[in-house]
Amino acid sequence: MKLIFEQSGKNSEYVPESKAVLREPFGRKELPIPDLGEVQVIRHYTKLSTLNYGVDSGFYPLGSCTMKYNPKINEDVARLPGFAALHPLTPEKSSQGALEMMYELEKDLCEITGMDAFSLQPAAGAHGELTSVMIARKHFGKKRSKILIPDTAHGTNPASGAMCGFGMVTIKSNSRGNIDLDELGKAMTEDVAMLMITNPNTLGLFEEEITKIADIVHAKGGLLYCDGANMNAMMGITRPGDAGFDIMHLNLHKSFSTPHGGGGPGAGPVGVKKFLENYLPVPRVVKGGDRYSLNWKVKGSIGKVGPFFGNFGVLVKAYTYIKAVGPELKLVSEAAVLNANYLMRKLQPHYDLPYDRICAHEFVLTSKKQNEKGVHTMDIAKRLLDYGHHAPTIYFPLVVPEALMIEPTETEPKEKLDEFADSMIKIANEPPELVKSAPVTTPVGRLDGVAAARQPNLRWSNE
Amino acid sequence: MNYVPNKGKETAEMLKAAGVASFDELFASVKPKLARKLNLSPPKSELELAGHMLELSGKNTLLKNFVGAGSYDHYIPSAVAHITSRSEFYTAYTPYQAEVSQGTLQVIYEFQSYMCLLTGMDVSNASMYDGASATAEAAFIACDITERSEIAVLNKLNPNYEKVLRTYCESRGVKITGELTQKSACVLVQNPDFEGNVHELEEFANRAHEAGALLVVSVAEPTSLAILKAPGECGADVVAGEAQGFGNPVSFGGPMLGYIAVKKDFVKRIPGRLCGMTTDSRGKKGFVLTLQAREQHIRRERASCNICSNEALCALAATAYLALMGKTGLANVAKLSYERAHELQKKLGELGFALQNTKPFYNEFAVKCPIKPKKLIAALEKRGIAAGLGIGEDRILICCTEKLSEQDVEDYVNVVRGLL
Ligand SMILES: Cc1ncc(COP(=O)(O)O)c(C=O)c1O
Repeated sequence: MKLIFEQSGKNSEYVPESKAVLREPFGRKELPIPDLGEVQVIRHYTKLSTLNYGVDSGFYPLGSCTMKYNPKINEDVARLPGFAALHPLTPEKSSQGALEMMYELEKDLCEITGMDAFSLQPAAGAHGELTSVMIARKHFGKKRSKILIPDTAHGTNPASGAMCGFGMVTIKSNSRGNIDLDELGKAMTEDVAMLMITNPNTLGLFEEEITKIADIVHAKGGLLYCDGANMNAMMGITRPGDAGFDIMHLNLHKSFSTPHGGGGPGAGPVGVKKFLENYLPVPRVVKGGDRYSLNWKVKGSIGKVGPFFGNFGVLVKAYTYIKAVGPELKLVSEAAVLNANYLMRKLQPHYDLPYDRICAHEFVLTSKKQNEKGVHTMDIAKRLLDYGHHAPTIYFPLVVPEALMIEPTETEPKEKLDEFADSMIKIANEPPELVKSAPVTTPVGRLDGVAAARQPNLRWSNE
Repeated sequence: MNYVPNKGKETAEMLKAAGVASFDELFASVKPKLARKLNLSPPKSELELAGHMLELSGKNTLLKNFVGAGSYDHYIPSAVAHITSRSEFYTAYTPYQAEVSQGTLQVIYEFQSYMCLLTGMDVSNASMYDGASATAEAAFIACDITERSEIAVLNKLNPNYEKVLRTYCESRGVKITGELTQKSACVLVQNPDFEGNVHELEEFANRAHEAGALLVVSVAEPTSLAILKAPGECGADVVAGEAQGFGNPVSFGGPMLGYIAVKKDFVKRIPGRLCGMTTDSRGKKGFVLTLQAREQHIRRERASCNICSNEALCALAATAYLALMGKTGLANVAKLSYERAHELQKKLGELGFALQNTKPFYNEFAVKCPIKPKKLIAALEKRGIAAGLGIGEDRILICCTEKLSEQDVEDYVNVVRGLL
């Protein structure tokens, strides 16, 4: 397909013409971007959209990403002029609805997680992690220099810790896929600021000894952090705050149904226990009588991590979802976990299942059996595209070689799970050459990533 | 309403197939159990939900916006929302499976190209959260390259950018100073600066380079690039900024759309996603995420930045916006914004407001008010106008975009006249 820059036309008149002739320094000579007619632009991006695959296109079992259905009404309400056209510096009197929404959302997130206070400011999961590590930094100053993570941790966890100058120490998992308590006991010293864990973890397994883990960390004065990317497994069932977590982030673009947008925008609110509340970013939304306002004067706050109040448009969608579902969030998590266990048991006879126990909302298989025939996880992933599914998350977590991480989510009907299982089982028995030549039905074949990195072509240029 | 499609019959079948008798068994290893129902408001039907959200949004009052200060209210062509509403775009994840993500990937490539063309830089990333955190990350690129750990901020940053920069620097052990020394990793300037002043970037570039530092330019109002000389042509090494003003609504301050663009030599230091053009197994042109060895999922604790999800859909909106506007439309947007702001500034000057800008300005300017800014803002709010942002005791920062008509400017001035 042509690039937008390789087309030309006459631009439509979206704003009136200005006859102004500007003097230096406003005389930019060259603005080398094309003028195009609206129909050209619409056709270009409509065509591009057809080369894409989204949740609305079909099954999207991308582990750790919770690709659940994104209710349409959420999109509509976020576009209501009363929200979308509201400037962030509108005086408080004229922005009561926005402040009320944020206040209520924080309250609901506290109830769902068992934390005492939330900040909605972080723009994504990794941003929430960074905010939390900043809080740990502020809490301990230079007194503690290390953060512990399990070997199953998502890459953003070690990167977030390192960004604030912490030394990252990895704890091995045990044969059940959980944190090894002996290892933890040894590593948990008084220079450790925090243990960051994902629960259920990235193997799709709940930490069975979570309260013991909390005790070990707290006995040494450390903080226990929950990467809440996997909240979809536990809403209404268990709460991180009750399990002993001191601080956590949520991914509203996972558990709370806001769309991923092809890579954002998301929202990564951070929740804390009371004793950490004043560290949260400012401003905080507060309520006095019937009036909502912004409180900038919080002693001890880490400051600001984003220019305004977070990804408000995303927050509106998550709020809408929570108001739609209410306490039935428990049914959501039950269905998510059931869908995963059902699919896992269907696939178990055909694929290696390294941790054979009840899973949470996702599970990890490997292609060990298929490796013997020369077929690898990458091949299986690509072959799934031919069958009209999206691929699972692959080669993650790193502790499982040739991993296929499958998360069906609760919004998939049983028939879709059966269809996917049928495809997986067929692929397991297909001739290796066929699987290795996949995909054949997609708009492009396998792409040469090595060439892309060796001779980077990262932009169009008019030269 | 919970969006779960399976009925009781399927659920029972599935529990059986999963080898458990009940949900209790499925969650047997989970501790500690929540023994009660979540205390949330009861589920709503879509009808009730729509009513509730309309009511909530109705508690906000939309004012005529004469406020900018980091969030810019430009006109968005109708077609932009139609493009971003294609659910193949908005319900997709980050394009890890390139073969079924060519739409998103080509959009990213085009976004990167547009940002390069506008900033005069060689390489742009696929987006960052917002201009403020992008500015902080851009300064860290300079620290990384120069192996120095001070940042010289030499003009007035948007206070929210400054606050974010402070938060980031504090946790990273980087010092912010107001002067350029041999320890400075970069000179950081915002252009236009917080009060709207447009600076000679060449001068900053020369000073920075003489001291062995880089020039990092932060751009909060993206439409200014349509009429200002590209920072890349003025010696900037890194440009970080905000592109919300391109096709994304103000939306109470988020989502925003940050980006970082650099000179060729620094491509391996740029944080975030990068999309590159390549070929497929059939010899056909295609796109992939590339140079991923920089990123957290490969480099983990050795990554220079932890960013994962960014603002892809906002980048799509910006790309569609720029495609629709073209050079002609974008220039009109900038010129109209310029004209309105200069009109208003002139008229306020005539009413006795002291003009504060010491340099040429684009669409944002500061004035000293003969009456308390608080009073002025409250009075205009009553008349449906967001007058600007009060700064300090007696000054106000005012912004105009092409959305404001000559009449709107007239109305503003008339209300103010009545107050004096
Ligand atoms: C376990 C886990 N932690 C953190 C993240 C980072 O979230 P985000 O992409 O929103 O920054 C992800 C998402 O990929 C994840 O799966």
